[in-house]
Amino acid sequence: MRFAIHDRRSFLARAVTGGLALVSAGLAALVGIAAAPRPHTAGRRWHRTVSLFDLPPERPLAAVIADRQADGWYETRKQSVVFIDREGSGYRALSATCSHLGCRVRWDATSELYLCPCHGGAYDRNGRVVAGPPPRPLQRLAARVNPQTSEIEVEL
Amino acid sequence: MNRRLASIAAWLDDRTGWRTLRRHLLEEPLPAGTGWWFTLGSLLLFGLGIQVVTGIALALYYAPTPDHAWDSVRYVTTDVRAGAFLRGLHHWAASLVVIAAALHLVRVVFFGSYQKPREMNWLIGLALLAVILAFGLTGYLLPWDQRAYWATVVTINIARLTPAMGDAVAWLMKGGTEVGALTLTRWYAAHVVVLPVLLAGLVAAHLYLLRRHGISGPVRARLGPAKSFFPYQAARDVTVSVGSGVLLAILAWRGAPALDAPADPTSSDYVPRPEWYFLGLFQLLKYFPGRWEVVGALIVPGLAAAFLALLPWIDRSRSRDPRTRRIVLGIFTAGLAGVVTLTTLGAMDRPRRQPDVWTVQEEAGAILIASSDRCTRCHRADGMTAPVDPRRVSRPQDWLAAHIVDPEVIGPGVRDVPVSSNDAENNAIRAALGRMRVADPPPLDEASRKAIVLVNRYCLTCHVIGSVGGTDGPDLTHVGEKLDPGLIERRIINPADVQIDADMPAFGDKLTPEEIHSIAMWLGTRR
Repeated sequence: MRFAIHDRRSFLARAVTGGLALVSAGLAALVGIAAAPRPHTAGRRWHRTVSLFDLPPERPLAAVIADRQADGWYETRKQSVVFIDREGSGYRALSATCSHLGCRVRWDATSELYLCPCHGGAYDRNGRVVAGPPPRPLQRLAARVNPQTSEIEVEL
Repeated sequence: MNRRLASIAAWLDDRTGWRTLRRHLLEEPLPAGTGWWFTLGSLLLFGLGIQVVTGIALALYYAPTPDHAWDSVRYVTTDVRAGAFLRGLHHWAASLVVIAAALHLVRVVFFGSYQKPREMNWLIGLALLAVILAFGLTGYLLPWDQRAYWATVVTINIARLTPAMGDAVAWLMKGGTEVGALTLTRWYAAHVVVLPVLLAGLVAAHLYLLRRHGISGPVRARLGPAKSFFPYQAARDVTVSVGSGVLLAILAWRGAPALDAPADPTSSDYVPRPEWYFLGLFQLLKYFPGRWEVVGALIVPGLAAAFLALLPWIDRSRSRDPRTRRIVLGIFTAGLAGVVTLTTLGAMDRPRRQPDVWTVQEEAGAILIASSDRCTRCHRADGMTAPVDPRRVSRPQDWLAAHIVDPEVIGPGVRDVPVSSNDAENNAIRAALGRMRVADPPPLDEASRKAIVLVNRYCLTCHVIGSVGGTDGPDLTHVGEKLDPGLIERRIINPADVQIDADMPAFGDKLTPEEIHSIAMWLGTRR
């Protein structure tokens, strides 16, 4: 059976359009897959911070946690600040990153509050918001004491 | 819904006239008999399209600096999703582009399509070929591995043969006095900015002139109605292109091209080879040594280029019929055969691969990196820094040398390097770092590992084993053939005990009996 001229033409037109669409879709998918950033896969682990004996009773102590972080073909050191504090018979670790826009809060001894220098956010010693725009309390991190070294370890 | 789409399309057409444009672009009437030979230009365009798309995706991850280029290419290959496929596709499509361009050129010559009135389009096509080859040349450097680096050094030295202005040309290509950071940024800029702009402009001009004069069609006009490009010829184009695309995907699926060790300007034993489409030129150079080199490097290729450029004027025939153009086609065919022959000879004439034997020094270095306290004190999974992964080391050689001698040196020149008592181990670690970038160390039993570290430290200063070591003492490569371990052990403890006039110092008081025994047992196996 022969196609009529008109049928052949429209068949070829569809085939050409379809072929081009297929190739374009394939290339677009490839670029999309390759360009999508990979999710961060580094797991949490325990970090040493301060010694139990260095912790003053009247105020929280800021500790810097330095961790390796893969940045593409680089490896950078990521530094995070946490506040270590006593809480009853245990210990509390709060992230120093303001929950509003990510500035670093500091402990103000006079007001006994964590104050954010950027937009006036304030948190009490437990990390609860007492003033300003922060939508959430300061992030609480798991803390434990290493009995061998008497150091407080924080999971980050 | 369809009616709404149709009304949007009609509105767009009214404001932009895109339907007229589409009709103008797609419904060009082609002479009867236009067939598969006329798909090669479209195939070339298809290949260039793939290069643009994959090139953009690769550019997202590429860093054009000597410290990071190699590492970023390794990152694309091993860490980016579909990255190996992407690199493979860019690599193979480069070859497709060169093949399609060459076939397109051959078709145009045999069909006489360069003849009046298409001379200008012929010249633009030749310029496009030059741009395509320049893409290949500049892209070859970007991975910044040994192959890339040394091929570029050779390329630039060929350019230096240019009469009268060789040094200026080489200086322009290098961007400085040496092939280095400035060369890399220069070639990168050419590859991703300058050449793409040239390519786009030349392709547009080529297509414009193609439409202006129409396609040349079969050599002898055939009777029959003209058929529109779309969909009849377009179907052939798409068939050839999609077929080649599938082939490229299969090749790319098998993986990205191998990444050599990072560029090392100090290595002296690397034999560079160009990409296959420059192998003909590479081979030609071998026939013109010394002061005749310029003949192979510039004069022969220059004459060939001049012949091609002047072809429309050399060929005075009024007909496109090959039978009336025997001389021109004869010269062209001879040249083509020459290129094919030289490329084949170049491909066959590859340096013999060195057997993958690790030197004692490299083995010792690998063992030290993996298990000695001096490295693993910091480089371990839970240590201050990550375990050493030589495939990822991209620090310059001087930094590594200083860091190995004194780990606290993180900026060479910042403070004096303390004198190290252990040059043998430092050199071994450096050698191993280079080797481990391209191959895994051979598996060794515990006794050999212990012995190799000691042999590297104490024996290689004066003795050669394999291809490394000092020449003050006898070669120990096959020492096991002549001496048994017991005798070797006695010689190490006190050489004078065995041979009264021995120059070798006694090691009986420097090494423990176990250490000497371990060295002797290992040397006894050297046959």
